[in-house]
Amino acid sequence: MTATDTSRASRPSRARRPGAWTPWLYLAPALVLIGGLLVYPLYQLGLISFLEYTQAQVSGGEPTSFQGLGNYTELFRDAQFRQVLLATVVFAAACVLATLAVGCALAVLLTRVRALPRLALMLAALGAWATPAVTGSTVWLFLFDPDLGPVDSALSALGLSGFEGHSWTYDRYSAFGLVLLEVVWCSFPFVMVTVYAGLRAIPAEVLEAAALDGASQWRIWRGVTAPMLRPILVVVTVQSVIWDFKIFTQIYVMTNGGGVAGQNLTLNVYAYQKAFASSQYSLGSAIGVVMLLILLAVTLGYLRLLRRQGEEI
Amino acid sequence: MASLSPPPPAPGPGRRTARRARTPRTARTPRGLRALGLAVAALTAAAGCAPSTAVPGGRGDKNTGTLRIWLFREVDNAPKAAVVDRAVAAFAKDRPGVRVDVAYIPVETRAQRVKAAFNDPRSAPDLIEYGNTDTAGYVRDGGLADVTADVAAWAEAKDTDPAARRSVTVAGKVYGAPLFVGVRALYYRTDVFAELGLRPPRTLDELAATARRVHRERPALHGLAVGGAYTYGALPFLWAHGGGVAEKKGRGYISTLTDERTKKGIAAWTALFGDDNCPPSSCAQRGGNATVESFASGKAAMAIGGDFSHRAMENSKVKGAYAVVPLPGAAEGTIAPAFAGGNNLGVLKSSSHRTLAVELMRTLAGKRAQADLFDAMGFLPTYTDVRAAAARRQPFVRPFVATLDAGARTVPVTPGWAAVDAAQVLPVMFQEIVSGRRSLDAAAAGAAKKMNEAFRK
Amino acid sequence: MNALRIRRPWRLAAEAAALLVAAVVAFPLYWMVLAAFKPAAEVQSAAPRPWTLRPSLDAFRRVFDQQDFGRYFLNSLLVAGTVVVASGLVAFLAATAVTRFRFRFRTTLLVMFLVAQMVPVEALTIPLFFLLRDAGGTVPGIGLNTLGSLILPHLAFSLPFAVWMLRGFVRAVPEALEEAAYLDGASRARFLWRILFPLVLPGLMATSVFSFISTWNDFLFAKSFIISATENSTLPMALLVFFKDEGNDWGGIMAASTVMTVPVLVFFVLVQRRLVSGLGGAVKD
Repeated sequence: MTATDTSRASRPSRARRPGAWTPWLYLAPALVLIGGLLVYPLYQLGLISFLEYTQAQVSGGEPTSFQGLGNYTELFRDAQFRQVLLATVVFAAACVLATLAVGCALAVLLTRVRALPRLALMLAALGAWATPAVTGSTVWLFLFDPDLGPVDSALSALGLSGFEGHSWTYDRYSAFGLVLLEVVWCSFPFVMVTVYAGLRAIPAEVLEAAALDGASQWRIWRGVTAPMLRPILVVVTVQSVIWDFKIFTQIYVMTNGGGVAGQNLTLNVYAYQKAFASSQYSLGSAIGVVMLLILLAVTLGYLRLLRRQGEEI
Repeated sequence: MASLSPPPPAPGPGRRTARRARTPRTARTPRGLRALGLAVAALTAAAGCAPSTAVPGGRGDKNTGTLRIWLFREVDNAPKAAVVDRAVAAFAKDRPGVRVDVAYIPVETRAQRVKAAFNDPRSAPDLIEYGNTDTAGYVRDGGLADVTADVAAWAEAKDTDPAARRSVTVAGKVYGAPLFVGVRALYYRTDVFAELGLRPPRTLDELAATARRVHRERPALHGLAVGGAYTYGALPFLWAHGGGVAEKKGRGYISTLTDERTKKGIAAWTALFGDDNCPPSSCAQRGGNATVESFASGKAAMAIGGDFSHRAMENSKVKGAYAVVPLPGAAEGTIAPAFAGGNNLGVLKSSSHRTLAVELMRTLAGKRAQADLFDAMGFLPTYTDVRAAAARRQPFVRPFVATLDAGARTVPVTPGWAAVDAAQVLPVMFQEIVSGRRSLDAAAAGAAKKMNEAFRK
Repeated sequence: MNALRIRRPWRLAAEAAALLVAAVVAFPLYWMVLAAFKPAAEVQSAAPRPWTLRPSLDAFRRVFDQQDFGRYFLNSLLVAGTVVVASGLVAFLAATAVTRFRFRFRTTLLVMFLVAQMVPVEALTIPLFFLLRDAGGTVPGIGLNTLGSLILPHLAFSLPFAVWMLRGFVRAVPEALEEAAYLDGASRARFLWRILFPLVLPGLMATSVFSFISTWNDFLFAKSFIISATENSTLPMALLVFFKDEGNDWGGIMAASTVMTVPVLVFFVLVQRRLVSGLGGAVKD
């Protein structure tokens, strides 16, 4: 699995054309599953977002009525929705950047150490990765609990008496910061392991040559490593954007459903509170559609930017 | 040196593919837009045929077969299951050809499960246990069967206490039988009170003064643990001052949060958030759980906790060093009206065994089963006489029974309340006030507006 | 690797940093396991200690004594196992199609696989619910309340990412190998399963980690689609029991979480090597 150059030559060729249907045959199972269980429900979601659709319509036998863009106008007229939208975008961006920074830094660190510390860090990271989101959020909250948590006791034992019984979730930014820590904790392992794998795949001779030329570590990173890692970085960036934008569990659990007076709401949690808890399915669907469109715009915009720079997705 | 520059552009083939691949993409955008336009047009046309809905209504009334029942799964479920099994065995013995299938569902999943059961009658049980604040919502969703006549013909039901009866009643019709009630009272630390020479407070003002005194003398302790998201701890303050969250007006409800008496209650509750008792930075976010946990971990001298918190207290470090009294009212000698929580049993509209389900409901929510359930689980009975007997057997429930007997209240029994609850209207209001973000008047007016919107829908 | 050339003090500093980070990252996990073993009164203690002198199995007993716990565990294994195997095979075929063939709509499909990952799952449960309900009426085994109603949606939701990841592995297998195989008279199917598949296997392992975790840890589908048939519930439902309106059972939550995390960790450790080499392969271009 170390073929680097040969793979370039293995572009799909026009040589084998007998049976143009072969790829479709291979694709059939995937397309049927995705079409039936993802695209079709998605179509229904879009449909619901244009209707008046509450529990009364679902099981109460009341007729549904077409609302046009009514649900969407209601959303965008809601000042809180706009504020939550902004918070979500900023928070997701911060999560993505922090995750990428930590993951990449630790991946580089992994290449600089011997087997034992590497194994220790790898196992710890895999453990964080394996933990269910509900549990991870609960444990982090527990660690930072003003009464029962070890963090405040440790800080005040170090002489920082201001941290005695300090609440980390009261202030808006501090609460977002705490959630960000948890998000980074559970999502950096993917970045770290992937980037580490990519680093290992860079032929040692290339780096050696650069080092012999007297290039500094930073120049080697900028000039050699980063460009070769680019496809990997694209993958982890796109994945992080997708995952972090849809954050639900961490906010829901750690800020107790949106924080003091709703200061820590993100779009997904807002959708849940606004719609599902009171079964206004159409509003929830509309928020889902808006989220999808934003993600789509961000990701496709990013890929297009890369493409303009000569990358291939 | 070459290795220092970015890798050379991909040779021929790769480059070509990239370009080739780009062509259809740019061409696709307008096509995609066109498709979207088409989809919207199709939607407009398809608006009539909405996504599927469930078929409402029951399917006959069979008197044999399997009767399905869902109860909440408790952490320590065995004693509850034993009581239920006994009652069910007695029920099935008299009715040959009837099988009862009991399932215990996690409380956390109840919202999804119950809604799913309304939406898919094939998965639906005949009888469910449900939280009494959900009554109106379930009725609005068309899930619960009207059992007014059946309950009227049931002798035991006349001993049900009025608050419990209100919790199964929507617009004059009865939708189930109360299974147990839960109510909150004032837990306090006997050791701390003895050391400081304090007595259990007799009015809400004295409660506040006592709380501040404790915190002054024992800065490590909160006087009274309070929580900005602890709605059921706050409501008694509103009620004790003669106010409330909403009242019935005509066919609907209207918020009374801006009423002067209510505001006095809000002021009394929010005044407890401060550096002299429970600083907002640690207390504004707490809900009921965190409040009780703070008391159980020895961080507070008083807390408003439920009869259901008793077991947790007994397992904590404050065991043997606390006592419970009813939460005092505004005037000496009165008890602040408490929120009557608890669970009910209800028959589903979609049940195909309506008569049997009603009979099973009467068995499980009957006096005998409730007394057994109290002995096994400590759940307070909903019948005044059964509850009095329970208090004689278990002295620790006396302050709770006294609170209930003084008259407990419920939240407005209207579907709009579910929306108010989901949008956290009250917690947001309390949190805005205690964090200093808005004045009491502004926060109450804002919350009243949101509440009225929800009631109108 | 280049670790060899780093000067000794720097390497020691790097190793110290790695161990420190490992400790910080592992600490929440340690705290979780610790809280699971602490007696109830100590979990609630206001002066938390990073150890316990009286380890207790009470919390684990509460987890394992739950009715049908073993059954839930097996259900979870069955669902996650089926999803891993099926999504591996289906994604392998699809990835082969999009990387080794050139056809109309290829790029469109690729973009679709990416877009499919962006769909907010929470919002889709409602339409999925009705879909499964209606499908259950015609096809037995995939309707609500069956394990099939968990397997199929998880399969569909894990496919786009799996295809996306697998592309790199399939592409990395030299074209020359394929041509040689055909020259030797191998059929397309023979090449696919006997030559390509074994070479892509490490990549499949890496990809399987993602589908395994998302399926194993899922609460959403489990509580939305398994309604009346509690015997078909999965492990997360045994964890949710400890979250209660009137007070969470922290010891139980931590013990159940430990029980849930351990199998994933074991799975991880088993595929760890292949995961690293695999992810490396996925992204080499």
